[in-house]
Order: sequence, then C-alpha cells, then structure tokens
Amino acid sequence: MKKKSKKKILDDKQNILADLLRKHGTQIYDDLDKGNFPKFSIPSRSVSNIVYDKKLRQYILGTNMAVRSSRNTSQLRSFTQLMWLAFFANRLTKEKKSSTLRDVYYSSQAFEIDFEDQGESDNIIVDLEAVLTKPRESFHVFPEERSSVFGDLTIEYTVPGYEGKKMNLSDHPDGYAIGPSLTTSELLETSAEVVIAVEKGGLFTRFIEEQVDKKFKAIIVDTGGQAPRSTRTLLKRLHDELSLPVVILTDGDVYGEHIAMVIKSGSANAAHLRELTVPDAKWVGVWATDIEKYKLPTIPMTESDIKRCYDLQKDPRYQEGIWKKELEVFLKIKRKAELEAFSKYGLTNITDKYLPHKLELAKSL
Amino acid sequence: MSSKESFTQISPSEFFYRNRDLAGFSNPTRSLYTAVREFVENSLDACDQNGILPDVHMSIKAVDVEKPDPKQYVLSVKDNGPGIESKHVPLAFGTVLYGSKFGLKQARGMFGLGATMAILYGQITTNKPLIVKSSADGKIQDEYEMLLDIQKNKPVILKHETKEVTKTGLSVSIRLEGDYSKAGTKIRDYVYQTSLITPYATITFDDPKGDKYRYTKVVRTMPPSPTIIRPHPHGIDVETIRRMLLDTNYQIPAVDDNMISKVRKELGLANKNLSHSEIMDKTQKKWKSLTRPVRIVMALMSFLKMDFEKLSKTTIEEIDIGNKKLTYWDFGESQSVSVDMDPESFYYKQLANTVQGETLTSFLTKRFQRVGPTTALKFAEFAKFKPEHRIGTMTNQELVKLTDALQSFDDFLAPDPSCLAPLGESPLEKGMERFFEPDFLAVVQRGASAYSGFPFIIEMGIAYGGKITSRGIKVYRFANRIPLLYDEGSDVVLKVVNDTDWSRYKVKGDPPLVIVSHICSTRVPYKTVGKENVADRPEIERELKLALLSVSRKLSSFMSKRGQAEAAIKRKNLYSKYIPLIAQFCTELAGKKKEPDYKKMIVEEHTVEEKI
Repeated sequence: MKKKSKKKILDDKQNILADLLRKHGTQIYDDLDKGNFPKFSIPSRSVSNIVYDKKLRQYILGTNMAVRSSRNTSQLRSFTQLMWLAFFANRLTKEKKSSTLRDVYYSSQAFEIDFEDQGESDNIIVDLEAVLTKPRESFHVFPEERSSVFGDLTIEYTVPGYEGKKMNLSDHPDGYAIGPSLTTSELLETSAEVVIAVEKGGLFTRFIEEQVDKKFKAIIVDTGGQAPRSTRTLLKRLHDELSLPVVILTDGDVYGEHIAMVIKSGSANAAHLRELTVPDAKWVGVWATDIEKYKLPTIPMTESDIKRCYDLQKDPRYQEGIWKKELEVFLKIKRKAELEAFSKYGLTNITDKYLPHKLELAKSL
Repeated sequence: MSSKESFTQISPSEFFYRNRDLAGFSNPTRSLYTAVREFVENSLDACDQNGILPDVHMSIKAVDVEKPDPKQYVLSVKDNGPGIESKHVPLAFGTVLYGSKFGLKQARGMFGLGATMAILYGQITTNKPLIVKSSADGKIQDEYEMLLDIQKNKPVILKHETKEVTKTGLSVSIRLEGDYSKAGTKIRDYVYQTSLITPYATITFDDPKGDKYRYTKVVRTMPPSPTIIRPHPHGIDVETIRRMLLDTNYQIPAVDDNMISKVRKELGLANKNLSHSEIMDKTQKKWKSLTRPVRIVMALMSFLKMDFEKLSKTTIEEIDIGNKKLTYWDFGESQSVSVDMDPESFYYKQLANTVQGETLTSFLTKRFQRVGPTTALKFAEFAKFKPEHRIGTMTNQELVKLTDALQSFDDFLAPDPSCLAPLGESPLEKGMERFFEPDFLAVVQRGASAYSGFPFIIEMGIAYGGKITSRGIKVYRFANRIPLLYDEGSDVVLKVVNDTDWSRYKVKGDPPLVIVSHICSTRVPYKTVGKENVADRPEIERELKLALLSVSRKLSSFMSKRGQAEAAIKRKNLYSKYIPLIAQFCTELAGKKKEPDYKKMIVEEHTVEEKI
C-alpha cells in the first residue's frame, strides 16, 4: 500500500489565487487614484487565436490579446462586470464558500451589476479564467453536473465545517459525488494503482458490484458522458499528486473517442486553461477494431456520427496513432457499439475478459 | 356588305364629357378631390399672376347631411384675386377650351380646362347650375347663374345680377356628386400641403363635418412672377415648328369683306370708292403704317389691278413665286385666271418674303429664346442648311431634318429660367419652420437646369426632430407649387431618397425626418396623365440628388454635433454609474480601506461635454 500525503498543496494554490487577485485589484486601485482609466489585457479567445500546442499536447490560446478599457464606454460595463466577478471570487475563496454559474448570475443582482442573462455572466467567468489562467473551480465556481468516484482513496475535507474530517471513498457502495468539497479536499492516501474512468453510470455500478476496485487495485470514476471540468480536475490531481495512471473506457463510437481525447488533452473551449488535462491518460476502448475482434452487436452510425468523424479528422490531435486509426475504421465499418454490448456474452463478460485484456494492453500503449 | 359609318364633329365639351376619366373625374371620390384642386389652383394662379397675396376660402357642404356617401355636395371657392371682367364670365366658365394660360411659363394648371371639367361634371351628376360671383374693378360684382350647353359648347345664362362691393375677387360655387368620407383625407392633405408650399397665402377649408382648417400666411412677400418666353430649340418637335410656320403672320390672308374693311380702315379710305391706281398711290404713302396682312393684300392688288369691288369677288388660288404667276378664281366669270408678276417690283419682293417665309437665321433668332446671329449661322452649318434658306419652302422631310438638328445641336445656350417661379429659400424655410417646428432645418434652391429644352429648378428642404412625430422619412413632393399626393412609389424623388444611404448622414432607424421637394418647370415630365408622379429624367434625377446631398450634409453635421453632445451625456452617465462600482470592488481586492479618489474622472468628463 502506497501512502502519499500531499498536504498544503491546496493552501498554496489558494494563496497564489489570492495574490493574483490582489495584484490586479491593486493595479486598478492605483490607476483610479491617479485619475487614469484602468484597463487590462485578456487573451483573445477568438477562433483565430486558438492553436494546438504539440508540446503541451493540448489546445492553447495564441499571443493575441484584447485590451478591455474602462474609458471605452462600450467596454465599461463588461469591465465592471469582470471587476465584480474578481471581487466576488475573492470573497468566495476567502470565505471558503462554493457557488455555481447560476448562483453567480443571481449574486450579481445584489451589486447592481446588470447581467442581461446567465449567458453573459458565464462569459465573464470565462474571461476571468483567461485573465488568471485558472479554472473557475479554483475560485469556487463549480458546475452543476455531477459525476462520481469510488475506490480506496482517503481524503481530508477543507470546506468550512468539515475541516480535517477524513473519508475513504470506498465506504459507500454508490460512490461519491465529485462536488466542490471533494474537489477541494486533500488527497491523503490510496492503495490503488490505476484510475479507470468510464463513460456511463450503468457500467460504474457494475464495476463496483464486480469489485473491480479490489480486483484491479483501481479507483473508478464515472464521467457521466463528457467529463465535467471538476471531474477532469480530479483526474488530473489523481494522476499528478498520486502518480496514478489513468485509463478511459467509452462507448465504441466517435463521441466516445472524443470524450477520451478531451480528458487527455482538453477542448478548444477551455484553451485558456492549463490545469484540466491528463496528457498521459490512455483510451483503452471500446475501439472500432474491438467491435470485430470481440464480435460485439452493433448499430449503424448516423449521419451526424459520420460528419463528426470527418470533422475530427481535421483536428491535429487525430493525425497519429490509435486516434487516427480508429477514426478510419469507424468510417470504414460505419457501425458502432455501446459498452453494454458485452452483456450479450454475460453480464460479467466485460469485467472478466475485456477489462483485464485492456489493462494489460494499456501498459504497452 | 359595305359598312356605313356616319362621321360627325363633336364640340370640345362633348369630347370632354365623353372622356371625363382622363381629366380625373372617374368616380365621386376622385372627382370631388379633383374639383377642389382645380378651383383652388385657379385662384392661386390668378393671384400669383397679378401680384396679390392670395386669400383662398374653400368650403364643402353636404346638401343632405343624413344621406350616406356618395351624395351631393356644394363646393365653393372664394378668392381675393383680380376677378374676371363681366363680359368674359359666361365664356370663361361656360365653354371648354376658353382660357388664358396658353403662353410658355410656369403655372399650376396648364390651360384652365380643369375648372370647366369640374363644372361639367357637377352639372351631369346633379343638373344644378353653377354660381359665379366676380368683381374685376372692386366696385361692381356680377353674379351669374348658368348651365353649360354641352353639345353646342356654349353657356346658358339663367340669371345675372349685379351689386356693389368693395373688393375684387372671384367666387365659384358648384353642386356635384362626391364622396367626402373617402376623399376627405386626400383633400385635407392637399390643403395642408398646398399651404406648406404657398407660405405667402392664407388658405382656409370648412369641411362637411364642421371642422375648420386655417393656414395663415407666414411670409408677406411673393416670389417674383415668371415671364412668358419663346421656346428653346431643344424643346421643339415637328408639329410645333409647323404651327410656328402657320402663324397668321405668314399666311396668305383670305380676302373677304372683313379683310377689305380692315384694308380700307388702315388706308384711311373709309367708304370712298377709289380706282385701282388711286388706291395704290395711297398705299405707297401709308406703307410704313400698314399691318402685315394689309401689306400682303395690297401687294396682291398691285398685280391684280382691281378695285375693292372686283377684289371682293375673287379668291386667291396660288402664288407661284418660281414662275412669277398669280392665279385667282373669279366668281363673276366662274373661271380661273393667271396674271404675271414683275420680279423687279417692290411688291413682288414683299410677296416672296411672305410666301417663302423668313430665312432660317432670322427664323431662329426671332422665334426662339437665346439664339443670336452667330449661333444661328453655326447651326445652319451643323444642320447642313443654307443660312438664307426660306423656312416657308421647306418640304416635310426638310422640316423633320431641321427639327432633329435643333434637338441635337449642342451649342445652344441653356434654356432661359426666367419663365420659372421657384418659391425661394427663405419662404420655403419659413413655411417648413411653421409647419414642422423641427430641431433642424435646411433648404436649398439649385441653379436652373434643363431637360429636353425645358428649364427646371429644384428646391429642397429637410427637417429633423422637434415636433415631427412621424417615424421614418416622410417626403412631401411638389411640382409647380402643386402637392403630388398619389402614386408616391413610382416617383423619381422617392427613388432618389430611397437610393440614399442615410447612415452616411448619421441618420439611423426610423428618424423623424421630413423632406420637401419642389420641381419647377414649364413642363414637368409626369409619368401618367394623372399628373401625380414625376418621371425619372436623368437631368432631373441628377439635380434632385445634388439638392438632397447639399441639405443632407448640413443635416449630417447637425447630427454629429448632436451625437457628440448625446454621447458625452451618455458617457458621463455611464462613468458615474460604473466607476464608483469599480472603485468599490478594487478597494476590497487590493485590501485597502479607503476608496481611490476617482471623482475627478467623472467631473472631467462633464467639462468636455460643455465645450461641445
């Protein structure tokens, strides 16, 4: 059993954020005090400024910056909104309170910040992420989508009221929701040697029932489809802080392949962030080639599936290895298979046969 | 089978009666509107031509208020114009084609036909007489009650009375079938817009519902009145040339009793019977005082060697200048007789001149505007005619060639605009100011220009904001001081306005904007007989564009000043709203206690605004 204590990492992170906010706040304070209109630069998030970085193995923003000035009356409102959000984020982190996108929208109304709709406030949140180059979870704004985690991992809460309280994530057979308190907790120790992320809740439950966590010394994460950013953050922390390899199991279709890719190297939408990717994560199935190999029952691809294949072929990340190969096979067979398809050969077929094969294979990928 | 058709001549009244649709009397709605226009425009024209500031009072009353439309109405129009002399009244109102507007100058109506048409229409729909009250001397007023005899084109006077008055003026009252519930809007628009373009007139209108519309004059000076001028060569066609040639001066007069008594009078011979030689002596002595027709008769007599008695029994058949022969028909002998003419005689030259007409150059310089001897010679060369070519001897083909050349010769001076009567910038401005009370107003009068030999002048005004409540651009179109209310869509003015990119002039969305456009011309090129829309002649379109450009530029600079002022206020409001918030947020972020001193930033902006 490995023991890995990573205490104080979180505190440091909070301090870095607080410093960053204070730095920006002070600069604007000084400008105002001198009678100057404050302004700051935000990396441009326009399509033309999103580039793929081969070293980082993810999309990043280019060098184009947009200046937002409070002198410009057409930018003054959004400038103020951004200032408010920074102010609000500062309070959230100081008071260790969590919030959601929708909360932010409503909280703004207490300060006469007139967001027209939640879309506008969501946009400003992304602006702040870009300015700070920190995901919104770092300033305590969490998504509402919930995904789950299960396995032998001991954590220690940092949220108010639970500070110091420890918990093992295998205590509850339904798993634990990956919420703000779990994301901000400290990851103390684990006996696991691998993290298995699965796309579907149904399979997550099957894996717990079949004690995959014990049989394969694994932490099981349910991404609930496209992995929410809190889940991706957790996967990254499991990989970085506990040095656990991450493998991903998705449906055998083009969307499944891309779910794996986003966990591995992020999305264009989050090109302004650097803390959400697990570049070493491995997609182990279901591959297009598995469909034939394991004689899985299939359904035909729809037109939008096929279109998605062609779109992804233009993506620089799909130009090599299994990513390229599997996409080609999908296009060739024009059929897809779900994870549940293994049930044709018995409910435990997937955990008995397929999973061991793939975990073995992952070591050589 | 042979077809038998009978050909009969009809009187002008009969013709108009049968074709009343052409003149705008197609139905009760349109007829009521047209009748109003004809009478009001006649009154305004009469006042204009006599330099009188017009006061025109119009009323429409239902004969039976209870009846539904269409029904009978009494239309009365009264003015303070010069009136019409008593003896002309029956003919002026009781005959079609009896008018005073046959010269070439700008006027509202063309020939004064419309009023008679209205009378005609009234009579055939109600069979009631027309009542005219007129005073030309300001002392005696003649009141006529009369009907039109349509077939004979003659007035039938039912009553004629006189009474003493103190002012000149004319009042006409007719009864006619109309539909005010449908025509009312147009008539009120017409009165409103006519007042707008005639700011020197007082126009009132009492409508059948008892509503009173009053537009009093805002200026007390009349625009200079136009002069009658000769035609421009570019505006001529073959038919016009032919008519000019047939002008009485150039015809061989009929030697009838009337003519003979005229000759006697001019020679001072009264009833004396003189011999031929005695007559010719007298002629030589008086030659210089004789009128042209008499000179011709006397020239003829010199060859015929007759006295008046004999002359009255002959008809001149042919004057053959080339062969020097004069042929006449002798009633007494019932035979055709030819006599020789002596080419050396003084009278032969007179006759030759008359029969062959003037030389080309003299025809051009005398009968057209702005053509001098030099231009005439240049033109003759251009048209490949000899300068001394006699107009009277031209064949049909030569006339066509002449006409084509007149239209295509480029060196004629531009048409003389003195026949035009634009309103003038100042009256237009005052009129628009009174009607719209706008925040911004600009007017322009373009210089004279011409299309196809007809001079024209464009006047344009633009008004923005203030009490203008309309959303979107409203265009008031006028031609020769007449509002054009129908067929707006196909008009050249609308085309020019719609082709304009208004955002270039900082006009956005549906602006409270009014454009007044006035085309003055001796002939406005209407698209249709209804005379409600102006055709898009390139010359006119160009002038309209330039006029619009000129006023729009002024509007643009007004708009940008206003825009700057508005933006400054808007900026200040935005700064005062947001800067304190920014200050509040950054104070907490920076971990300070006291807010930064940002107040001067909002105040500074205030001073910027005052500078504008």
